[in-house]
This record gives sequence, structure tokens and C-alpha cells, in this order.
Amino acid sequence: MSQVTGAQSLVNSLEAAGVDVMFGIPGGAILPAYDPIFDSKIRHVLVRHEQGAGHAATGYAQVTGRVGVCIATSGPGATNLVTPLADAAMDSVPMVAITGQVPSLAIGTDAFQEADIRGITMPFAKHNYLITDPADIPRAIAEAFHIASTGRPGPVLVDIAKDALQKMTDFNYPTSVNLKGYQPKLAPNAQAIADAAELITQSSKPVFYVGGGVIKADAHRELLEIANLLGAPVVTTLMARGAFPDSHPLHLGMPGMHGTVAAVTGLQKADLLITLGARFDDRVTGKLSTFATNAKVIHCDIDPAEIHKNRFADVAVIGDVKHTLQALIPALKAALKKNQPDLSPWLRQMNSLKSSYPLGYDQPSDGSLSPQYVIERLGKISGPDTIFTSGVGQHQMWAAQFINYENPRTWLNSGGLGTMGYAVPAAMGAKVGAPDTTVWAIDGDGCFQMTNQELVTCALNNIPVKIAIINNESLGMVRQWQTLFYEGRYSNTSLESKRVPNFPMLAEAMGCVGLSCERPEDVDATIEKAMSINDQPVVVDFRVHRDAMVWPMVAAGTSNDDIMIARETAPDWDSQEL
Amino acid sequence: MAQHTLEVLVENSPGVLARVAGLFSRRAYNIERLTVGPTANPEVSQMDIVVSVEGHALEQVIAQLDKLINVIAIKEIKPESAPEVHDTQPDYQN
Repeated sequence: MSQVTGAQSLVNSLEAAGVDVMFGIPGGAILPAYDPIFDSKIRHVLVRHEQGAGHAATGYAQVTGRVGVCIATSGPGATNLVTPLADAAMDSVPMVAITGQVPSLAIGTDAFQEADIRGITMPFAKHNYLITDPADIPRAIAEAFHIASTGRPGPVLVDIAKDALQKMTDFNYPTSVNLKGYQPKLAPNAQAIADAAELITQSSKPVFYVGGGVIKADAHRELLEIANLLGAPVVTTLMARGAFPDSHPLHLGMPGMHGTVAAVTGLQKADLLITLGARFDDRVTGKLSTFATNAKVIHCDIDPAEIHKNRFADVAVIGDVKHTLQALIPALKAALKKNQPDLSPWLRQMNSLKSSYPLGYDQPSDGSLSPQYVIERLGKISGPDTIFTSGVGQHQMWAAQFINYENPRTWLNSGGLGTMGYAVPAAMGAKVGAPDTTVWAIDGDGCFQMTNQELVTCALNNIPVKIAIINNESLGMVRQWQTLFYEGRYSNTSLESKRVPNFPMLAEAMGCVGLSCERPEDVDATIEKAMSINDQPVVVDFRVHRDAMVWPMVAAGTSNDDIMIARETAPDWDSQEL
Repeated sequence: MAQHTLEVLVENSPGVLARVAGLFSRRAYNIERLTVGPTANPEVSQMDIVVSVEGHALEQVIAQLDKLINVIAIKEIKPESAPEVHDTQPDYQN
């Protein structure tokens, strides 16, 4: 076998791992790798900031279900990837990041552009490598893709010293990966399945508490089947929007801090939570000691460390949730034949809450544009096949609330880490992964100003994403908390984004089409105009009312029982039989 | 708080001590004592970790440790069956 450089071995390994696209920027330490990349069949998208490369990789991964790949140089190139890596860890997104490192003999000398990125990412990366011997490159890449994409997915970083890229080596891609300390368990325990089925038939108030794991495992069909089989209500968390059709009559909507009254109350009053790929996050549970106090818990998760982490599980089913549901469905069918619980009083209560407290919003009295209306129309006009990404804040919550998601992998956001600036680069990655699908980024004016440089990348690389800036000239969610909890003292939340920057001009300067809209009567025509442009990215500056707030709301640290549907307004519990 | 002794077999690879120590630090578990030594297999090291936790927290410590790719096996040494602790290193407190 002829010898190749470590860099060529890296590119050969990435090709062998099935990579078809990666997002990155070259620099000194990674430069040797960019020479063989020049000849590779792998598409390399040259981004404008490494953070953009990282979020694009996660956007690509979430749309395709494949591993997203980004590549950067040492030092600042690598540290700029820290936020997307942490983001991918919190949202369990399969991702491999390749970074160059200073030459092995310079490691530890505070060399130019040296940063210990392996040490920096150790607390949150699923795993990471520092490679100093070119012979180790193929094995590290094979292991990285295996670890990133199996079990609970997550980010893996491979840091490669520059001299390891330059030296000659044999290229031998391993045919299999066997890690003694990593053997994820896919098939659920048969006894746990039997116990789960038994517990379900004993319940008169069950709720399917569905998390992002159902989408990761491609288990949405099985979820639909088991929900129809039992006829129990379903809630989908922020990470699970699209896992179960919003149009389904059993769907109570999203639970959590800004969830629907029916979803939040359904979890609170349930006697059984059938938890599928969800992790009892504080944004869902509210004050944990008051969360669903009468409920038993079946917790199905591929990550054993999630069991009993926040909430005790009466039945723990460890395994891939698709495998779990494929085993649970026949077990439940058999159990229901012996004992079919009557869920009709429970469903009646839930349907009453659903019809009494639908999501809604008030139109601003001054005739200005309502942000919720804009987002609602975006969902209606672009339809259920559209992929939506969002930043973090009010617009994110409204996009989760007022768009009907019918399909998995159509809603991408930063749920766990809450990364402002996620929307534009994630949309870029999503569009690369699904080029024939309309991709809308719903962004805030604050978020947009953090990562919009990637629109240049989109314009130059034929990645025609569409961006809706919900411009309330504020850090809106922070402002909402200042309104509610800081007596309206708006410390440093006014961005003045209706004065500066001029978003349509900024968009045009970056090679995009820039549009603007500030009257309700122009919303549909503006969206349709944006939908008609498919050869360029489009940015629409929706100039909206700044005082709109996200409701319902469970204030941080309080009980879900204290959900408010508007300021100082609780649901009328006396009118509900609960 | 009750003390528990964990016998942890890890791959003898660079950075593995930092991974284990970092995990305890990040998840706010308190290490009372940590010793690291070789095993008969040069590719495997043994860490004996004494940790102060209550109830379910011990399961969490073990489950989180087990997620580290370089951790091969974890065994809790119960007091009644405890062999002599291999205290060949000075005690480290974090």
C-alpha cells in the first residue's frame, strides 16, 4: 500500500465515513487538510465564522438524521466551535468537529493559536480525541462517527496536531469499531416492557410525555400507533414538536414554561406519565417537587443516566425508543385485551381544557403588527412540509406555539443550551441537507445580529434560505421578564433595531433580497413574495409591536399549578372538572 | 453523608484522569479520596474513588461515570466485603 499524508488519510477517512458535506474555515494548523479537501468529492461549504459552521452542521444533522461535520483550525477557530458543540450536547445532535492543533512538539508551550480544545470540550462533548500520530487518524474518525451517531447522539471532537497531518502514513480504515467502554443498549428489557404495559392498563389518567428522543430515533410512526391504540393524550416538548401531528385530536400541545394550559395541566393531573425520550427538564417540570405529584412514571430513554436523574421512575425502560415502542405495542395490545381502562372521563377533562384555553393573542390596539400573527401566517402560507428554524427568545416560543407541525425534523431550535443566533446558520445547514424543501428561519432582531454573516455564505453557495426577522427592537424575552419581575425597568434590552441596522439594506449588501413589512394587511403578500424567490436568500424585516408577551407562562422556579394565561390571570379552575 | 467506594476500570489513555475528575467537578459530586494504579493489563488502569453521596445520587454518579467512553467497568465495594484499599498514593481532595 502506498503511503499518504495524515491529511489525505483524514479526508479518505471522512469519505469512508460517508461524509458528503462539511462546513468550515481553514487556518494555519488545519491547512494541510485543506489541500486534499480541494480534490475531494466531499462538498466543503466555506463559512464566515466557525460558530456558523457548527450550527450548520447541527442543522444538517437534524434534518437528515446523519452526522453533521464541521472543521476549523486551532486556537480561536476551535474555541469558536465551543458554543455549537455545547449546543449539540444539550440537544443530543450527532456531530463531528475536526480541528487542527499546533504541532505536537509545540503542544503545552503556549504556541501561536494554541488552545487545549480537548480539555475545553471535555465537560460536554460526548467524547473527544487529540491525535498526534497520523496512524491513529482513521481509527479516531471511525470511532468519532460511531460514538456521535449511536446511543444518545452527541458531539465528538477530533483535534489533530499539524505534524500528524503532514507526516506520511498508511491509510487503513477500520471495518468495525469495538469500544470496551461504550456499548449502547438498543433493545429494551422484556420484563420492563411487561411492567410498563401492566402499569398503563392500571392508569385512568395517562399522558404520553414525548421528548426529542422520539425524533432522533425516528419513532414517530410507532408513537402514532401506540397513542391511537391507547387513546391517551400526548404532549410534545419543545424538542419534540413535529414528533406527533399537531392536528391529531389527542395532541394537547407543548408542555412547559410556555406550554398550553391543557398540556401543562395534563402532566400535572395525570396518574401516569409515559415518558418517551424526554428528560424532565426544568423548563418542562417547573418546580420539580410540585411536578405531577400524583403520577407514576414510565421512563423510556436510551441514556441510563437520565433514569431517576430529576424524577424517580416507577418503571425504567432503557433502550432505543423505536425498539421500545415496537416491543411495547404488542405487549400493550395483549394487556388491553384483559383490562381496558376507561379513559373517557380523562379525555373529556383534557378536551375541555383544550377548548377553554386555546393558544391565543391580542392584536395591538394601535394597528401595529402582532408578532404572533406574522408567525401564524408564515406557518399557514408555507405549509406543513416547510422546515422552520428559530433563534432563542419570544419568537422561538411563538414559533413553537403558533405553527402547526405535522412532521418530524421540520422544527429545529436550540432547546437545551438556548443559543441566541442559532437560526440563520442552522437554516443554512438544513437547506444544504434538504435542498428541495423550503427553509424558513424565524429569528429575533437580537439573535439575527449575532450570526447573520452566514447569509453571505448562503448567497455565494446557492443556499436560498428565507429569514423572517421578528423585529421588536428588543431583547424581547428579557424585556418580558423585566416587565413582569423588574417593575418595567428596561435595563439594556432596547436594541433600537428599527433605527439601526437597516435590515433590508444589510440583506442586500450580503447578496440577499431584503424585504420589509410593518402593516398587518401586507403580511400575506410579503410572505408570498418571499416564497416566490428561490434563487437567492430572502430576509424579511417584520417590524412588530414591542410589548407583545409570550403566554401562557409558568414563572421560573414556580409550580406548574400556577400557570398564568395572561398577566396576573390564572385559568378559571373552578369551571373545570379536574 | 454516606461514603461509597467505587472501583473503576478505565482505559489507560491520556486525559482519562481529567475526564473522571472533571465529571465529578461538573456534576458537583464530592470526591473524598482518589487513587489510580495499574492493573495486570497495561492497557487498563484502576481508579478507586471514595465519594460522599446520598441515596439515588450514587446511582447517578455511577451512571454518569459509565457514560465516559474510556470507563470500562464500575463496581461498588460494599463495606462488609471491602478488601484493603490500595492506598499507594497520597490522598487527593477536591
